[in-house]
Amino acid sequence: MKMNNTNSLILTRILIISLAFFIIQFFLNVSYTVEPDEILKNQEHELRARNISRNIRCMICQNQSIDESNAPLAKDLRILIRNKIKAGNNDKEIYKFLTDRYGDFILLKPPFNLNTLGLWFLPFIFLILGIYIVFYHNKKSG
Amino acid sequence: MKNKLLILPSIFFAIILSIFFYLLITERNPSEIPSNLLNKNVPFFEAESLFKNEKFISSQELKNEIILVNFFATWCKPCRDEHVYIKRFSNKKGIKVIGINYKDNSKKTIEWLKNLGNPYSDVLIDKNGRIAIDWGVYGIPETFIVNSSGIIKYRHVGPITNKIYKKINLIINENE
Repeated sequence: MKMNNTNSLILTRILIISLAFFIIQFFLNVSYTVEPDEILKNQEHELRARNISRNIRCMICQNQSIDESNAPLAKDLRILIRNKIKAGNNDKEIYKFLTDRYGDFILLKPPFNLNTLGLWFLPFIFLILGIYIVFYHNKKSG
Repeated sequence: MKNKLLILPSIFFAIILSIFFYLLITERNPSEIPSNLLNKNVPFFEAESLFKNEKFISSQELKNEIILVNFFATWCKPCRDEHVYIKRFSNKKGIKVIGINYKDNSKKTIEWLKNLGNPYSDVLIDKNGRIAIDWGVYGIPETFIVNSSGIIKYRHVGPITNKIYKKINLIINENE
């Protein structure tokens, strides 16, 4: 009985530790590739750069942000963003600079405009359609 | 009534299936991103020239004739593959071919062009890739067609193949 207790105690501990590990991993999301020489001295500027980088798609890997990618172009863009912040550009100007050259595709989150209307609304339309069909069907068969 | 309800999803499924099938058989590259610069003015930039002593200023040079702008590098294997087509373009009348040498070693580039032949009327140096960013370039080689008013009419990502060569020729003829 005593043996069982210690066993379950160890098991619980392992469980708690691994759970804590996953939670920390999940919230910290430490998988960035910013190199030490890129980091700005001004912490506020660096934070802004990181935030922008997380929203910018790496055009080479396409499913990673430039914050996570180690492609040369991603590095160039990270440095360019930091230079623009240092030069006093605001976030909006930096996003505009990038979308002017690479299009909306460079934004990981597509903007809400006429071209992307379907992208934003179709899921809801399908959901409503689905609910309607299910209820209609249930009503009829019921 | 139940049968009627079953028809609707089947039609829906058939539509989706045909869309997928259509996308599957049509020739396209899903990872190719359309250029945001199409039908816009060429970006303004200044660059050093590899062979000439004067500075290249885009707004002065990229106008009055059809220009093919080709981003290339000696370290890029597909650039070597497409070189034969770039040479063919340079032999064509009424078109100027300009090369932008992306993140490369100038000495190696001169050697490379000596060995393979130099189809470019001017080779510009993009040492840190900043000019490429202004053109929205993300993969070397890339080729742009600029019409005589300085408007970008076409962009191709990747090496020029026989098929793309024909396509570019058509676009050049259209813009003449």
